[in-house]
Formats: sequence, C-alpha cells, structure tokens
Amino acid sequence: MADANNDSKKRIRNFTFNALKAVVKGFLVYAIYFVLWMFLAPISEIVPGLQQMVETFVIVYIILMIVGELTSGTVFQHFFNAAKALFVIGYLILSLKGGIFGLTFKNVSLIVDLRLFLIIVTLLSLLGLTKSVLQAINYMNEKTEYTRI
Amino acid sequence: MRIPIRMIGIATTFFWIFLIAFFITAVYSAKDLQFDFGDPKMGLTADNKVLFSLPITIVNKGYYNIGAFNITTEISDEEGFTITRGSTFVRVINKNDVVTINHNMTIDLNDLLQKGQNYLFNDTELKIYEAVGMRIAEVIPVQASTNLSLPWGAPLYNFVLGEIEYVAHNYTHLRVVVPISFENHAFFDLVGSIQIRMFNSTNVLVGEGQTNIEAIHNSLYNGYVELYVAITGMTETGHFEVSFLTPFFNYGPMVINYG
Repeated sequence: MADANNDSKKRIRNFTFNALKAVVKGFLVYAIYFVLWMFLAPISEIVPGLQQMVETFVIVYIILMIVGELTSGTVFQHFFNAAKALFVIGYLILSLKGGIFGLTFKNVSLIVDLRLFLIIVTLLSLLGLTKSVLQAINYMNEKTEYTRI
Repeated sequence: MRIPIRMIGIATTFFWIFLIAFFITAVYSAKDLQFDFGDPKMGLTADNKVLFSLPITIVNKGYYNIGAFNITTEISDEEGFTITRGSTFVRVINKNDVVTINHNMTIDLNDLLQKGQNYLFNDTELKIYEAVGMRIAEVIPVQASTNLSLPWGAPLYNFVLGEIEYVAHNYTHLRVVVPISFENHAFFDLVGSIQIRMFNSTNVLVGEGQTNIEAIHNSLYNGYVELYVAITGMTETGHFEVSFLTPFFNYGPMVINYG
C-alpha cells in the first residue's frame, strides 16, 4: 500500500517536473523566435504570408516539443522527437515550394533559391531523426535489460 | 550507446544554431544593400552604335560579401523582337565596400531600321526586361526581375516635304526649293544631312541637292533643300528620293511622289 502510494507520488513529481521543463523549453523557443523575428520583420513587409508561415511552424514545433517533454521517460518521447524532425522536413519542403521561393511585389518578381538551405535543413533533421530512432532503440534495450535483472 | 547519441545531439544542436544564425543574418544583411542609379549617359561607339551607359553604385553594408552580382537589360519591340541586350557582371562585392559599375548597352539603329522604318517616323513603345541577380553571402541566389515599357521617340516624326517652290535661276535651269519639316522626338540630337534626288515622270534624274540638319531632341525642325533642275527635263509629276545620313543611322532612298 505504502509502495503504491510512493510510486504514485513519484509519478506526479516526475510529471510536474516534466511539465515545468516543457513550459521552460517552450518559453525559451518562443523567446528565441521573438528575438529572431525582429531581424526578419523588415522582410515580412515584402513577403506576404511569411509571418503566418513562420508562426505556424513555431506553434507546431513548440506543441510537439511540449508533448515530447510531457512523455519524457517513455518510448513516446522518441516518437514525438522523430515526428518533430519529420515535421521540420515536410513543412519546409512544402512551404518553400521545393526550395525555389518566388513572389511578386509591385511588378517586381523575386526568386530566392533556397535549395542549399533546404538540403542542409533536411540533413540536420535526418540527423535528428536518426538520433530519435537510436534513442528509442537504446530505451527499449535498457528497458529489456532492466526487466531481465 | 548513450555517448554516440549525445554526440549526435551536440553536433546537431551546434549545426542548427550555426545555420539559423547564418540564415537570419544573411537575410538581415540584404536589407543593408543599397543601389544608387546615376544619370544615364549616351554616346557613340567607334562603329557608330548608340551607347547607353548607366552608372550603378552598390553599397554593401551587410555582414557578408555579395557574390555573382549580375544585371541584365533586354530591350525589345512590341512584337518581341530583341533590339539589344546588355549584361554586367561583378564577381564579388566585399562587405563594407562600395562598387561603382557602368551598365552598358549598345543599339545599332541601322539594324533596327532594317526591321522597319517605323522607328524613324513613328513614336512607339519599347519593352524593357530588367533582371538583377546576386548570391547573398555568396551562397543564397536571389534574382529580381521586372518588365517596363519605354516610350520610343521617332527622330523624324511627321517628316513631310512642303509645297515645292520653283524659281527661275537662268535660261536653262530652275531653282527648286523643297521645304522639309519634322519633329525630333528622339532622345538624341540629330545631326547629319538630308539628300534629295529629283526624278521626272520618265524616271530620269533631273537634279539633286542636300542640306545639313541639326535638330536638337524634342524640337521641331524646318529647313529646305535647293536643287538646280534643267527646265527641259522637268515634268509636272515625278518623284523624289530622300536619303538621310547621320552618325547614328543611314536611311534611304525613301520615295515621295510630287505633282
């Protein structure tokens, strides 16, 4: 009875800690976005929809990060981390239209070739995906070993 | 396995920070790029082509060098025929550097007139395609392009021969005065000569004369050409052959009937 009570308390403590960690992380990411956006703000006047595009990205990224943190200590954490990496790849490919970003502003057509940037982002996200897969394998491995002992 | 995973995590974080910082500063740098267009100059090349020269000053106050700066201008007529194309390339514009380049284009008016005499006598519109390309931070290719229209002013707009005046010169010849008038709508001053040859109704050359012209741009020119014609060769009808000789173009003979 006492063990079950302790276990329950431990779980609540862990969850609270994870939730706190998630909130801090989310706040930090939003603060970074807020600072970096000041640099990009002049460009957003020329590029319609840029703010919305970046905001959507940041919101989904923060949500995935928070959910990942809340599920910390379980295998789902790694699933959400992998989802985060895949989301970065998918969202950037779709929103940047394959890397060739074009827009028209007052009879001036602007084309920005972001393919190199996209390739690097994709490679980094794949590295993140690899990390998550390895973490999931490691987690399952350690859990199995722990169960055996 | 924890150590390799941690190493991957550290490397990924480092590269992410580097990439985001680089991208943000590169985009922010583009804001500090200034272009100043000077007054366009016009001249004549050794092979008698009209030379346009547009001085462009590029001030790079950004954090990175600008690579492969390229400006291209293409002028075409309303039907899409390319009249001229000019391109200027600068390999690198270093950060905190000021570079002045001359964007040159040449137009061969003789080539233009071979397509049609419309450009000499009628005002029209020319299409301009302007493209500026560069590599921000020597890595991110950016190109801006636009289409403009430019009014073309005809150098011999409304060219007409006036009422011919016949004056007795001596017992055998007449002095024929042919008034000429036109408006120079072109962007250049027209200096040269007009040559007129007079043919009678049987296509026999009866006289010729020429006059020097000097018509500054956007002005009306009135002048005349004197011809001395044998009375015996004169007929009531016939035609003139008018030729234009200028440093920019030679045109003619243009046939204008009289009588």
